Amino acid sequence: MHIRSVIVLLPIALLAPVACERARYVDTGSPEGVITVGNVDMQDILKASSGMLESLAETGVLKTAKNKPAQLVMGEIVNDTSSRFDVGEMTYRMREQLVNTGQAAVVTTFGNTPEDKQAQEVLRREKFLKGETSEPLPDPDFSLTGKITQVKRSAGDTKQVTYTFRLTLTNLRSGLEVWTKTVDMTKLGNKNAVGF
Amino acid sequence: MIRTTNVTTNGLGTLRTLRATSAATFITAAITVAGCGSVNTTYTRTTPADSAISAQTRVNDIFQQFFLTAKEVRMNRTKGGPMEVQIDVENNGFAYKTFSYRFDWVDTAGNVIPSQLSVWKVTNVPSGGSTVIRAIAPSDDASDFRLQLRQSES
Repeated sequence: MHIRSVIVLLPIALLAPVACERARYVDTGSPEGVITVGNVDMQDILKASSGMLESLAETGVLKTAKNKPAQLVMGEIVNDTSSRFDVGEMTYRMREQLVNTGQAAVVTTFGNTPEDKQAQEVLRREKFLKGETSEPLPDPDFSLTGKITQVKRSAGDTKQVTYTFRLTLTNLRSGLEVWTKTVDMTKLGNKNAVGF
Repeated sequence: MIRTTNVTTNGLGTLRTLRATSAATFITAAITVAGCGSVNTTYTRTTPADSAISAQTRVNDIFQQFFLTAKEVRMNRTKGGPMEVQIDVENNGFAYKTFSYRFDWVDTAGNVIPSQLSVWKVTNVPSGGSTVIRAIAPSDDASDFRLQLRQSES
């Protein structure tokens, strides 16, 4: 009886750890994380922002600005993929690196739809009280715009998706594109998986 | 005697046949294993690049070290100011390799510079092939780097 119980329970005990994986913390963007075929994952966002920052640093385009550090306006970055995620996941990481290291300053009080409307109002009121009516208030050097696109293909059950992150930096004094970068990510498979 | 010689000759012939069969089997197996997705590489440079530097590796995964080899490490200053590192990684194994890597940059004092550029990236290299992994330092202050390389189990 005792031996029978062991024979029955032993395989169950051995299989139990395989069947359920306990929740645990992993580094954000770690290859251990979940990889999906039909969605943009955190690893993809981190790779994209890193690739963009590397290219900005490599070319030294921000050092060519009139203002030191370069003043940057965040333009529209369109997510044109079927994957739903906030583009800010990428842009805020880029901003953190650029602003906190003194490579650029982001103007949050620029234009008709400023990121920080309250700050823009305060700035305008201050200008008005001092009798300075002439615009512009901030004097940005560059604007950053972009688009994220996807190309989906399949062969039988196997799906392939390429996500392309592309950003463009426009010189606001000349109106010319001074920097552009694309970062591609291609994923292939037929089901989501946990990384390695 | 003649028979013995014949037998001996036959024995040698059998041995030769066996050796030839084994060699053919081995070559066929090697071609079968290596043939799928293997690449042949041609290059002209036979000596290290001028910007090549010596690097030290702490090996924790002997199989990874055996099959994935960092052949050359080069460091240059980019046009924008920060350092760039390029590492040639060769796959000497018989299978397609997927691995992830992360560069951490350090300043002259040896302290790691925290940055959004230090993230894990995944890349593949076919059997017999090589790839160049590269990274740009987050600032002009970075003078050295550390590379972590982690191979997929599949």
